[in-house]
Amino acid sequence: MVRSRIAFRSSRQTEFLDLTGRLQQAVEEAGLLNGRVHLQSLHTTLGLAVNENEPLLLADLEAVLRRLVPSEATYLHDDFSLRSGVPVDEPANGHAHARNLLLQPSLTLLVEEGEVLVGQWQSVFAVELDGPRSRELAIQLEGEFARGRLDRTRRLIELELERQLHADPDPVGEPMRRLVEAGGKRFRPFLVLLTARLGPDYDPLRAATLAAAVELIHAATLVHDDYVDESPQRRGRPTVAAAEGPERAIAVGDYYFAKATRLIAELGNADVTATIAGAMEAICRAQIDDLDLRGRYPGAEEDYLRVVRGKTAALIAAACVAGAQLSGAPAEVVERVRRYGSSVGIAFQMTDDVVDFSEGSGKPMGQDIRERVLSLPLIYASESEALGAEIQQLLAGPLLDPDLRRVVDLVARSGALDRVNRKATSLVQVAVGELDGVDLDGVKTPLEEIAKSVVDRSA
Amino acid sequence: MIGAAELEAIEGLWKEGLEEAYEAYRPATQKLAGNDRDRVALAAALVEVALHLQRLGGRAAPAPDLLRGDLCLARASRLLADTRNQELQVAFARAIEELAATAAEERKPEPARERLLRAIEGVR
Repeated sequence: MVRSRIAFRSSRQTEFLDLTGRLQQAVEEAGLLNGRVHLQSLHTTLGLAVNENEPLLLADLEAVLRRLVPSEATYLHDDFSLRSGVPVDEPANGHAHARNLLLQPSLTLLVEEGEVLVGQWQSVFAVELDGPRSRELAIQLEGEFARGRLDRTRRLIELELERQLHADPDPVGEPMRRLVEAGGKRFRPFLVLLTARLGPDYDPLRAATLAAAVELIHAATLVHDDYVDESPQRRGRPTVAAAEGPERAIAVGDYYFAKATRLIAELGNADVTATIAGAMEAICRAQIDDLDLRGRYPGAEEDYLRVVRGKTAALIAAACVAGAQLSGAPAEVVERVRRYGSSVGIAFQMTDDVVDFSEGSGKPMGQDIRERVLSLPLIYASESEALGAEIQQLLAGPLLDPDLRRVVDLVARSGALDRVNRKATSLVQVAVGELDGVDLDGVKTPLEEIAKSVVDRSA
Repeated sequence: MIGAAELEAIEGLWKEGLEEAYEAYRPATQKLAGNDRDRVALAAALVEVALHLQRLGGRAAPAPDLLRGDLCLARASRLLADTRNQELQVAFARAIEELAATAAEERKPEPARERLLRAIEGVR
């Protein structure tokens, strides 16, 4: 349950103040997905009402209040000679108290899919009866919150990953357990578990298996990638190749590619199997492309986008699609989450590139540049009229530590990081827009939050 | 029939062992449905060539070969997905799991062809 207050100031003696937007804002800030919002006036001359926000109608309603409870009538409350302990600034407002009898002191509204449930013509009003004054409403929100759902989802992912890794032979299982236990955002399995709620056949355990399999595919690609890139560290720990040798890393990657494929096949949904197989092919194709492009480093934006669509966005989009397919979601919904996942995936990689230029990425700063991994900030910085020539000259050289530091500094000064951030933010907006106008059964808000969290990492 | 899409980015492998492996698997696939025979024979050949390229159980392959091997494995998965035959998909995955786990234990894995033929033959 979340408690809050809505404070405002009225400007006239009798006034209908539309608070619908403020309530919606409170619901969004609290992350309430489905439930109820209770609001209560904390004043005796401020009532609540639900009605249509049409100016002439509001004038009519004010007239009704005046007609039913005229201010010029006699109210004992206004005869201060009969009352004791009356403050010096006490207004003669018996009519306002009486009018308040016609209104309600509290309201409860339903919330569905993160939206306050009001009809097309309904607005929620605080009705000032003795203004102008500063006023306050108490609100309480209860029900299913995004945070709680995300926490439960995260626990389910971790449990399923642990279960799947528990019985694997140690020579492959131990290195993978170390990698998985070292953390990771679990971005892809989160998307699977959310989109798996979109259809009528939602089954949390089957969805958890699919989510774990998708994460294992991602982890397997990381194990092979780290060998290809000769990366010493991943998530702040030695990579499998660095710790166990490249031969073991290759075997571990192959084992988990195969295991994930089997887990998905055992779910018995041919569409899901085809979706994930297609994504795996796209990833591997893009990795070959990526390696080839390192000879033309830093490359062009077009090359970058082609590689990122395969290497990163394909599995993120497939995670969204496969979850929805597993639950039997309608084709229109599947297509929307595919487009959502594709845009989020590209934004995710762009933000990752920006994070690589900061401390605390889990990798030594500038490592991607040393390994000549495609990077949009570097591509943009190389296009800079003032600094691009020096960057390209440094990249053409041996890239010793001072050169790397200089490149990182030049990229920061070129404005490329801001440009990439803006581009990623606009892709997230596109992704969120894909969620409009389709029935997403309570999943819209967390999907929006996940999309927005992608770009927040670089803030 | 093998289409150009099946060999995209790995065309050179056809004459470097993929064709020979494909032909070797074809007899074992005759019991499968018509459209699936070529797919499954090629999928098995791709897995075999992938594990050979990656030198599974031997000294580590260079990065380009590892990645070409990954693409072969992924394409084999896609071909098996196209068959919509769950039993085959699971049998192939189990075969690769066994071969990879054995290699990780630093023991010599069973020849991939024998293991994959057994996987195909075990499917009802």
